[in-house]
Amino acid sequence: MTKNAALHGIRVIDLSTSVSGAWCARMLADFGADVAMFEGADGHPARRLAPFDDDGNSVIAEYVLANRRSAIVDLELSEGIEAVRTAVAGVDVLVCSGTQREMEALGLDFASLRQLNPGVVVCSITPHGSTGTRANHPGNDLTTAALSGWASINGLADQPPLKPSGLQSSYCAGTIAYGSIVGALLARRKQTPFQGQFIDVSELEVMASTFGPALLTSQYQREVQPRKAKVDMSTGPVPVKDGHFALTISRPQFWRDAMNVLGLDDLAEDPRWWTSWYRKEHADEYVDRAQEKLAQWNKMDLFDTLAALRVIAGPVLETDELADNVHLEERGFFRTPDNGGPEYPGPGFKMSATPADLTRSAPSPGNHTAELLRDFAGLDKSAIDALLASGAAR
Amino acid sequence: MSGPFDGYRGIVLTQAWAGSYATQLLGMLGAEIIQVEFHGRPDSWRGAYDRPIPETVANAPGAAEEQHTWNVNPLYNSVNLNKQCITLDLTEPDGVDIFRRLVPLADFVAENFAPRVLGNLGIDYEALRQIKSDIIVCSLSAFGNNGPWRDVPGIGGTIEPISGMSSLLGYEGGPPLNSGQMYPDAAAGLNGFAGIVTALMHREMTGEGQYIDLSMQESSLAFIGDALLEERIIGNVRGRLGNRHMTFAPHGIYATADDKWIALAAETEEQWTALCGVASREGWRNDIRFSDNATRKANEDALDAEICAWVSGQKRDELAKRLSDAGVIAAPVLDAHEVAGDQALRERGFIVDVDHPEAGTHPQSGIPVQLSGTPAAIRRHAPLQGQHTQEVLERLLDIDEDEYMELLNRRITGAGPIK
Repeated sequence: MTKNAALHGIRVIDLSTSVSGAWCARMLADFGADVAMFEGADGHPARRLAPFDDDGNSVIAEYVLANRRSAIVDLELSEGIEAVRTAVAGVDVLVCSGTQREMEALGLDFASLRQLNPGVVVCSITPHGSTGTRANHPGNDLTTAALSGWASINGLADQPPLKPSGLQSSYCAGTIAYGSIVGALLARRKQTPFQGQFIDVSELEVMASTFGPALLTSQYQREVQPRKAKVDMSTGPVPVKDGHFALTISRPQFWRDAMNVLGLDDLAEDPRWWTSWYRKEHADEYVDRAQEKLAQWNKMDLFDTLAALRVIAGPVLETDELADNVHLEERGFFRTPDNGGPEYPGPGFKMSATPADLTRSAPSPGNHTAELLRDFAGLDKSAIDALLASGAAR
Repeated sequence: MSGPFDGYRGIVLTQAWAGSYATQLLGMLGAEIIQVEFHGRPDSWRGAYDRPIPETVANAPGAAEEQHTWNVNPLYNSVNLNKQCITLDLTEPDGVDIFRRLVPLADFVAENFAPRVLGNLGIDYEALRQIKSDIIVCSLSAFGNNGPWRDVPGIGGTIEPISGMSSLLGYEGGPPLNSGQMYPDAAAGLNGFAGIVTALMHREMTGEGQYIDLSMQESSLAFIGDALLEERIIGNVRGRLGNRHMTFAPHGIYATADDKWIALAAETEEQWTALCGVASREGWRNDIRFSDNATRKANEDALDAEICAWVSGQKRDELAKRLSDAGVIAAPVLDAHEVAGDQALRERGFIVDVDHPEAGTHPQSGIPVQLSGTPAAIRRHAPLQGQHTQEVLERLLDIDEDEYMELLNRRITGAGPIK
């Protein structure tokens, strides 16, 4: 860990059992916090998400659980709960993903924890937030896509609504949670003594926040955006010789240069075509012609030609093509953790003074149980041995 | 206190979605955000000047008699809440001079021009740190501030394919798709927000500012990082899964009897059992094809066919409620109007009605986090173009009425197109 880490000295317990919580904790760790993950007896649920490597390790867990230490503590046993409560007394941040009902039952809700540690920042990340009529309803990336509006506009009109791929709600919510925790830590610095607070992140609301432009547009226009009947070059990828390519033109000069590259001089030079609202209203007059030209190109040849003219251009790249991408290589986007292992992608932004750190790949479950019980809960050897003997820790 | 970032000030050149969303999140959570737009060349999300104003906007509840096309674009107005807006002609030295006088009063500057633009204007990070040594500058660009693609422009619609996101979005066996809106902008905005707050913390601890180089491509890549790592670790190129999950079945969106859609999934045996109960399909529980998650996943086509047939006789909202109450992962697929009218989101204070002086009163997506100790609030509608120039210049730079009029006359500032 670099001493220049922005969150150097911040101690975090990650009790979450969701990918969103894991991503929040990952970001805290990337920027220098010391993160202790207390997993349940079955291990973090992300460990059971496919796909798996040859040794049976979840790839998703490898990604989102990196950069922290792991202890197994059984929260179904009172000794386990007590160990966690003792540890929380000495930390700055607790990340969790249980409903308030569940956290209260464990004595790990904010009201109880602030008795132990008035300065603690507790961040709860749940599908629907800690209050309201949906608070106790289960949810995941699929249902947040449905409730936020995203599924209604993704995909094609003659097929079902489509969720964003993968774990987008989880990454988005984890990132908002991260930023909010840092905000709470900043606000805390202005108080004597430190006052913690409870942060309530709803994955649904985070996704509905990213849906904000479509939501307000539907209000202004008094109609909802439909799913597209078909994809054309103005809205998404269309076929080229060796794959797909999006040419979602915005500015007039992009249009002129792109149409000239495609050999459509009449479309390039007529100024009516330079504004996007005009193109939208007259799509049937140009789309087929332009797509016919596009289909004659290879995607990277067309990208290189347009890039040289500084025109926006979107070849569809797959993950193996991205792994072997000269631009990303020069930017150093893939990097190996300090303790070895595969190259990880990331981070999502580069900071000049406090770059994101990648100290370690994901720990195996319980790899650091004894040292975390010592470092975070302050337990001595005999207390740790007792926990291990009782099965409350592993 | 109005949010954890109360007391911080950003002078921002952000526009369109990504940068504006990053700074809106800071503004929502208490920071003072002053957007600087080019006089006569507005934020691209305000739209083109010759774009006709739709009738629905002209006749909206509470709409002004006279509307300016730049002030009534829902795209702009959705991502600039809690901000003030000033205009400066940054192609003129006197306009740049005013910007440079504002920088010492800022904690951070954010922008999402192409990487060469700030340098051309003489206000890149190196120039700004000469003015204020601990300034934080966040640049959000398509491909970042170095590398062979540095000067290639991009927008969400092209970043989505070139970041791999489009290759993962689509129906099984179908072509790659872009999202219904330019989702990579949202991903970049969230990451930009995270970057700026990280820099604020570092500055509080050390007094040191820094530069944040955000590549929209990389922000999107970070959010599909598990798919990239899958390729690195096991050599598998992940394809398009529709609404299916890599691990769990069932996991899909199904048509209901009332011509709507419902999303439902089971991630545990308890949820599967509860689903069978709600469906009154004991046969599913006893079917060896569906006896555990592994067999359900292996027989997912058959399982989906069974669920489709059952759901097609059910009404969306009734069924969603029964499933949710039974502990099954389920939700109605809501369209934008239904989201805006969602009672639960309103009760939580997330959907709020915002009054805008020209566009009228409309529900908007609000603040996506609640903080007990430093609660945040929507304090302002998205600003009219140049709405706060005079007030901000007077408040921060002591520019009086006469000086302001001179700036107006010399077209260093002003609202609307340059006449």
